[in-house]
Amino acid sequence: MNFQNQDNSLIAIEAQGLTKLFGDVRAVDGLDLHVPAGTVFSLLGPNGSGKTTTVRMLATLLKPNAGTAKVNGFDVAHQGDKVRRSISLTGQFAALDPNLTARENLQLIGRLLGHGRAAATRKADELIERFDAVEFKDRLVKQLSGGQRRRIDLAAGLIDRPKLLVLDEPTTGLDPRSRQVVWATVRELVAEGITLLLTTQYLEEADALADRIVLIDHGREIAKGTPSELKALVGDQRVDVVAVDSQGFEQLKQELGWQGLELTLQPEQRRISVPAPDEVTDLNRVAQAVAATKIAVDEIALRRPTLDDAFITLTGHPAEEVTTEEEVAA
Amino acid sequence: MSTYIRESALLTFRSLRAIPRVPERILDVTIQPIVFILLFRYVFGAAIREPHISYADYLVPGIIGQGLAFGLIGTGTATSHDMAEGVLDRFRSMPVRRLSIVTGQVLGQYCEQLLGLSVYVLLGLVVGWHPHFSGVGTGLECLGLVLLAMFAFTWAGTYFGMLVRSPDAMQGVGFIIIFPLSFLAGTFVSISQMDLIPRTIGDWDPISALVATVRKLSEHYPSSGSWLLDHAELSMLLWSLLLLAIFVPLALRRFNRTLAA
Repeated sequence: MNFQNQDNSLIAIEAQGLTKLFGDVRAVDGLDLHVPAGTVFSLLGPNGSGKTTTVRMLATLLKPNAGTAKVNGFDVAHQGDKVRRSISLTGQFAALDPNLTARENLQLIGRLLGHGRAAATRKADELIERFDAVEFKDRLVKQLSGGQRRRIDLAAGLIDRPKLLVLDEPTTGLDPRSRQVVWATVRELVAEGITLLLTTQYLEEADALADRIVLIDHGREIAKGTPSELKALVGDQRVDVVAVDSQGFEQLKQELGWQGLELTLQPEQRRISVPAPDEVTDLNRVAQAVAATKIAVDEIALRRPTLDDAFITLTGHPAEEVTTEEEVAA
Repeated sequence: MSTYIRESALLTFRSLRAIPRVPERILDVTIQPIVFILLFRYVFGAAIREPHISYADYLVPGIIGQGLAFGLIGTGTATSHDMAEGVLDRFRSMPVRRLSIVTGQVLGQYCEQLLGLSVYVLLGLVVGWHPHFSGVGTGLECLGLVLLAMFAFTWAGTYFGMLVRSPDAMQGVGFIIIFPLSFLAGTFVSISQMDLIPRTIGDWDPISALVATVRKLSEHYPSSGSWLLDHAELSMLLWSLLLLAIFVPLALRRFNRTLAA
């Protein structure tokens, strides 16, 4: 491999041609990843795009069918124990014992990591403090809310400070307030210099937290770059025009097309989307163009780009909801 | 080795802590034996005549065999549940020996089964079972063979629990396979009275060997009809070792491969 001469401690993840098949489904298909230590790296993609499968291969929970991966310098295929010692994985679903309290869970994990009873308790209490969990530390995990559980889950991943923290969709299904708490904690950890691999379905989340993003779909890389590079590809802001009916949609499509505007179409939603790098100026321009056609519309609005925009721009189709490959394989 | 013992002990203790917090789990392993004890002792028992033995003495060894068999389903269901919870995945992604994780799982389940067994044996004594062990040695032999069989069944249940897709599936499979085997085992009526097909199955059913062993050691009541029943203790020992030889490696291999959903 071409990176053998580099200092391994500077590279958190190096994967080449990583591939996982579940039956006939190519869940991950020849993925290359390069994550320098001390950075935040995001795998961005819709449900079923292969994010979790990738993470599980890197965490040695799944064997790749092809390709190689090194995590913190250790080969996932042959040095699984060393990989596991150097990472911490927090999944989409809280990996805690529902019949233990929050505090007991943290104590147990500390003791399994080899700490004595007193040290494990001290660490548990420190983390409970840090994650603002004092009020619910003695409640059974199964009685906690989703956001509370996720916080304990995150805390559990930090008992022994890992070299690489892997967060698999840390905010999926969380209410906005819990999402803010998770983001704030992640930012603190990043400021302390931890390397972070983050998977997410939200462009906004990757934008807020990551240094570099790889956009994946059907297990393949579609685009990569910094958040601003990706957003530049997608267009900063967009103006959306929603027609009243499908007839209006067809007319608008023609009229606006004649005016030389660059249109992205979503016929099911009767939505026409126009890039708006100049924001309000562009909104004005589009609004005038629409007014000139005298066709009634439901909505004209300026909005931030979403993952769907990225997909439509880069692949020509919206992000599909497919059965997650884990379900297919279970 | 000491790490293995330490990790296994921590993980076993984790499972045990669930018992007082989820009391219905104990109900899961005791409710069926309790219902069957009461049903057969006081309802159907009056119509069943086994020569030279009171029906309570005939019944309770059968209940022990069936209880252990139902325990296999319970273990499978609980394991399947744990696999779906994601907590086992957390342990797997940690620097913890995978053998320790499986050991903790099996021992936790085993303790639950043990608790269940004590409950229905006690109830058996209350409804009139009089074990007539010929000495302390025989009593210990009986206990040892039951505990060994229970260990083997727990491993089998753990394996099946990792194999099936959901706790419900485990219940279904258990009901189709284990339930009939537990009735053909001379549990409530003697195998020799059955029709050819159930009799043949019953003659070779490992649960039959278990029931015959307990009945023979505790009541001097011989079962016969096949080599297996004629040599109940030996065949029980061999069955247990065979099940362990099959299911311990299968369960360990499966655990290294399985994904949680």
